[in-house]
Amino acid sequence: MAATRRLQKELGDIKNSGLRSFRDIQVDETNILTWQGLIVPDSPPYNKGAFKIEINFPAEYPFKPPKINFKTKIYHPNIDEKGQVCLPIISAENWKPATKTDQVIQALVALVNDPEPEHPLRADLAEEYLKDKKKFTKNAEEYTKKHSEKRPSD
Amino acid sequence: MATSQGNDSDMDCSDNEDCYDDYNDYYNDDNSDGEQLDMSKTDPEYFDYKCLSEEEVERLLNETVESLSNRLFISPSLAKVLLHSHEWNSNEVICKYKENPQQTLIAAKIDPPTPSKSIIVTSTYLSCPVCITTLNIDKFIKLNCTHMFCKDCWTTHFEVQIAQGISTAISCMAKDCVVLAPEDFVLKHLQHKTSIREKYQHFTFRDYVKSHPELRFCPGPNCSVIICSREIKAKRVVCDKCNTGFCFKCGCDYHAPTDCQVIKKWLTKCADDSETANYISAHTKDCPKCHICIEKNGGCNHMQCSNCKHDFCWMCLGDWKSHGSEYYECSRYRENPNIAHESAHAQAREALKKYLHYYERWENHSKSLKLEEQTLEKLRTRINKKVMSGLGTWIDWQYLFTAANLLAKCRYTLQYTYPFAYYMDTGPRKELFEYQQAQLEAEIENLSWKVERAETTDRGDLENQMDIAEKRRTTLLKDFLDV
Repeated sequence: MAATRRLQKELGDIKNSGLRSFRDIQVDETNILTWQGLIVPDSPPYNKGAFKIEINFPAEYPFKPPKINFKTKIYHPNIDEKGQVCLPIISAENWKPATKTDQVIQALVALVNDPEPEHPLRADLAEEYLKDKKKFTKNAEEYTKKHSEKRPSD
Repeated sequence: MATSQGNDSDMDCSDNEDCYDDYNDYYNDDNSDGEQLDMSKTDPEYFDYKCLSEEEVERLLNETVESLSNRLFISPSLAKVLLHSHEWNSNEVICKYKENPQQTLIAAKIDPPTPSKSIIVTSTYLSCPVCITTLNIDKFIKLNCTHMFCKDCWTTHFEVQIAQGISTAISCMAKDCVVLAPEDFVLKHLQHKTSIREKYQHFTFRDYVKSHPELRFCPGPNCSVIICSREIKAKRVVCDKCNTGFCFKCGCDYHAPTDCQVIKKWLTKCADDSETANYISAHTKDCPKCHICIEKNGGCNHMQCSNCKHDFCWMCLGDWKSHGSEYYECSRYRENPNIAHESAHAQAREALKKYLHYYERWENHSKSLKLEEQTLEKLRTRINKKVMSGLGTWIDWQYLFTAANLLAKCRYTLQYTYPFAYYMDTGPRKELFEYQQAQLEAEIENLSWKVERAETTDRGDLENQMDIAEKRRTTLLKDFLDV
């Protein structure tokens, strides 16, 4: 099966590359189509915590894109209350079979660090981000402290 | 089609004026003679178009592709991509291609924006970046961007894309690469997959028709007719298979004298204000004289109370006698002249009042159209009975259907005069428009009254009324239909 072979290769490559912003990758041995991991952003206000995500690969992978879901609550204009995230690189129209998962993760980390209020999933937060950045940062920081996961110690 | 009889058409009645008119559009496209020029002058709604089948359009497109491919010495597949990206304008493609072939190919996404470095392949084996399988190099293939992938992956890529309805927009599999896969490349990888090939060809055809400014799919349900016109104007076209009529330019319901942008604005506004609209869409009103509750069950707005026989106007509840003269004031909205000095609250109320004035009339005529359809059905039953009992022949009563159809046509235009008037600036032109609109409205209600009482109305009287109403309609369109 194309998906399995490709995902095994990608998983190995990511683990070997030692990505600092994506850690604790967990994959069930019986199901390589679901990955879990920890996003570790380095920009404020999200650099006080870490965020658990789940990546779901379809059976047609890599011809169809994976889906990403946040398992940790986050105060972010591009991620909604259900943990859904709008990431152009994995949208059905833009998806390219040769795009690798580590490129997807890098795009995700960049979005977390640098919100795009122009294409919001949560209009209320986007408005606050644009109109009152100070208030947004304060709220996001408090929210991160309250809800996020512990950052890896190393 | 040359025949020895000296008759250049296969229509039996090609000499007959009336019949000729119906087929004018189709058979007279290429030889625009005097009569046709005249038509376009006397009839503001005249529009030259053809209803084509899918096969005819396929032939038409293929001819364009073939001639371009011969002209530029390129493959038909490449010619298709170039035409598709230039709205099927052959001349533009030829000009651009002759001036700068490289740039044209880049713009059409056949070549990559920056020339790819030619990869020097040293080994006979490669690993496919998509499926991570190591294969002999002859199992690999690339588009002009030189991104190599194995043939099996290309096939799966195409299958998945086509299953999602994507065809002309299928691109290379490499990240960020914009190069498109032309038809011959796709089909080469779908050999022996008949149903997917058919789907692909169906989708590309749909894309080609949609990108072609002179072609429109008929919006009728399950209708495969494609309407073709050289001119791209906001005029009425009617599908000769399913009888659906629509505006050729925007593809929505025909909307003369209002133009495409304005009608879109109006319909959006009506949808947004549906709550306020609900409140006015009550079906019953009280008779202004005896106050008995009256349900409107016909299209005509000239009401006669069944109880007290009072004649009144459904729209404004005024005495019908005051509507009889040439000034039919009921269609005109009277703005408050001092509105600029009023409070914001009063201005908002005035704005709503103005909108409701036009909306009520728009909605009312739309309802009348539906009710008049029922009148037509009843008329049909009654005529059937008459014919069965020997009171004249079916042909004798045909004029009543002609009258009912004309009434629908006039009322339809009248309905669409309201959004036009709503967005019109105040001034002498608007005054003229509203004057003509009022006249049209009065004549239509007269006609409707007579059609509802068709059997007791004198035929000459009815035909006279038809003529007047249609003249008013044409006059209004001549003066205000600007497409």
